[in-house]
Amino acid sequence: MARQQGWFALILALAIAAGSLLFSWNTPETPLGQRLGLDLRGGSQLTLQVLPAGSVKVVQKEQLDAVKEVLDRRINGLGVAESTLQTVGDNQLVLQLPGEQDPTRAATVLGSTALLEFRAQKPGTEQRMQELLGLKRQATALLASLKAPEAEAKQADRDQLEADLSRINTDIISLYEPAQLTGKDLVTAGRQQQQSGSSWEVTLSFNKQGGDRFAQLTQSIAGSGRLLGIVLDGRSISEASVGPEFKAAGISGGSASITGNFSAEEARDLEVQLRGGSLPLPVKILEVRTVGPSLGAENIRTSLLAALSGLLLVAVFMVVVYRLAGVVAVVALSLYGLFNLAAYALIPVTLTLPGIAGFILSLGMAVDANVLIFERIKEELRSGNTLIRSIETGFSLAFSSILDGQVTTLISCVALFALGTGFVKGFAVTLGIGVLLSLFSALTCTRTLLRVVLSYPALRRIDYFLPLSQRSEGVA
Amino acid sequence: MLAFRVNRQRRLLWLLSLVALLLSLLGMAISWSRPGIGAPLRPGLDFTGGTQIQIERRCESSCPALSVAALEGSLASLKLPAEPGQLAPSLAGGAVQLLDGGRSVVLRLPSLSPDQAQVVLTNLERQLGDTVPGGLSVDTIGPSLGPQLLRASLISLLVSFVGISLYISFRYDRIYALLALLCLAHDVLITCGLFAWLGLLAGVEVNSLFAVALLTIAGYSVNDTVVIFDRIREKRSQLKDLPLADQADEAVISTLTRSIYTSLTTLLPLLALIFFGGSTLFWFSVALSFGIMVGAWSSIAVAPTLLPVLSRR
Repeated sequence: MARQQGWFALILALAIAAGSLLFSWNTPETPLGQRLGLDLRGGSQLTLQVLPAGSVKVVQKEQLDAVKEVLDRRINGLGVAESTLQTVGDNQLVLQLPGEQDPTRAATVLGSTALLEFRAQKPGTEQRMQELLGLKRQATALLASLKAPEAEAKQADRDQLEADLSRINTDIISLYEPAQLTGKDLVTAGRQQQQSGSSWEVTLSFNKQGGDRFAQLTQSIAGSGRLLGIVLDGRSISEASVGPEFKAAGISGGSASITGNFSAEEARDLEVQLRGGSLPLPVKILEVRTVGPSLGAENIRTSLLAALSGLLLVAVFMVVVYRLAGVVAVVALSLYGLFNLAAYALIPVTLTLPGIAGFILSLGMAVDANVLIFERIKEELRSGNTLIRSIETGFSLAFSSILDGQVTTLISCVALFALGTGFVKGFAVTLGIGVLLSLFSALTCTRTLLRVVLSYPALRRIDYFLPLSQRSEGVA
Repeated sequence: MLAFRVNRQRRLLWLLSLVALLLSLLGMAISWSRPGIGAPLRPGLDFTGGTQIQIERRCESSCPALSVAALEGSLASLKLPAEPGQLAPSLAGGAVQLLDGGRSVVLRLPSLSPDQAQVVLTNLERQLGDTVPGGLSVDTIGPSLGPQLLRASLISLLVSFVGISLYISFRYDRIYALLALLCLAHDVLITCGLFAWLGLLAGVEVNSLFAVALLTIAGYSVNDTVVIFDRIREKRSQLKDLPLADQADEAVISTLTRSIYTSLTTLLPLLALIFFGGSTLFWFSVALSFGIMVGAWSSIAVAPTLLPVLSRR
């Protein structure tokens, strides 16, 4: 008797603790302390793959971490709220952007290597360079006019121009010496609006070594008519001339600016990329999943409705079939739901749609455990045993089959969690937690509650558990 | 109490399962030979790779009618910006689907970069008129992700097979483990068969959620079968003088009510998901409900009837 009261007190305490935990963690962001996945709250998920390049044939853990570090800095620079970046597997990174944030821009900023190079022009190519720059200016202006909203340009013409521009760019790059200075020597980057006109420029400051190299580089071409090329990811974004006044010492002071006719947005993105540093290995965007928040809300509403109506149907079924024991089971199952939610909030588990499906399924299995026990109790009652004795035997006889069933389900959950990807994991976690808790729910909660109920003599009546008609049939 | 002795009717029960299995294999074979599918089941976006765009339209009472052909035509003529070093994909093979009486529009396209998807969206929004802000989803799955997902799913399925059969061999016997795996394969195959036919006749595609459903059915099927095994073991010690077939029959009879109730209580929430859940989980719930029914069948009709036959050898 004392032992059963101890269990009852424990269950009561756990229920109160779980309830107050969910209540106190209830915020608009985390309803009932639940972290919602992107498919429920809306948002985007980007999967990036790190590609081997150059001497690196297989991406190592350290290289993946190095890429993540650079991307983390870029994400901070972009100022997206509550984003998370995680490494997945050997060579992938997953970025989650909750809410209505533009995944396209994030993809553009994160996806490029941002290798900045300063390269001096080769001697003897002055005339060719002037021709090419003239062509580039023409093509760029023409393209801008074709892209204007009122222009009725043919797509074919635009494609032709784009192709021309990229060929001109390759030709310009071929006129430069190899890189003498790269973005590695940058300390920081900024941006400011140009004094004349509306376009923006990106300002750079170098460390000591970079400042010295920049001075040497500008000194070598000062006054010669040769240009300083600023190349980003193999694209010549700016060509600067260095005046003869720098012949003596080059441009010193360790800072420079790139005037590449940038819009405010472009200047900001470039600044973010340069500050974050260039990626040690190139990345490729593998996957972009976006769910609008209203679709997310709709999915929550319908899934919740389904879960609640399913629960209600099961409750009605249990009470109709098992009478008083059914009522006890419904109480135990409600506690089961409460404990599940508390476990999700504590661990914490991020709830996704497959996760909710896993929960609903585990609920079905928790009911199965109760059905197994109650059917055994009914069998014992039918063969004429007393109520108390039947209940005790029912629990002990049902135990081995419940255990075997739960263990096999748990084995599948472990395999799914260890080897599955993304949301398969979400499903396995909620199903696994559900199976573990259902052992506690069916074997401890239901049993203790039944014993408490039976401590009231008025409720100790066999026909509250088994219709008398069935009893006589069983005995005969 | 039902006194149905399964082992007396076993030829009929086997015939039913055999027909279902053959129909399933036939469905998967036909599906495989279809040039448009080329796989036992019609693979969805998760397995083929590509971009799927879904837009919700905002309409007062009914949405202005849209022509799928016109939308597809305008997609085909759309030129996309090329990514560096790659050709811009052609949208001529893209498919447009209208759901909920034209309220939502779903596009299935080859894999697009974020910029390219934006071009498609801008073009589409011009033609659709008012759309629900936020009622938009863009999914892009790279072509390498599908095989990766399939491999991960198959490996986890295999590992759980091995784990489950080791556990049953340890708790029962090797024949029971073999039977549990046979039942599991039976349930998974027939569920796949249903979806092969659904893919052929109604264009239903399988996605990674379907793989989750199969894994769950596998776990549930074993759970269901193990309860009967547990009873057979008990009956074997209680009714030592009877032949194994009769012991198995007794076990089935005494667990029949439980098997039906349990399947029913698991089906109830799933039926709620089918009827009231979102579209995302519809086919997932259908697969699970069907698999659980087949699982109940195999644990009642297949496992206890094969046990006496296999034990004799």
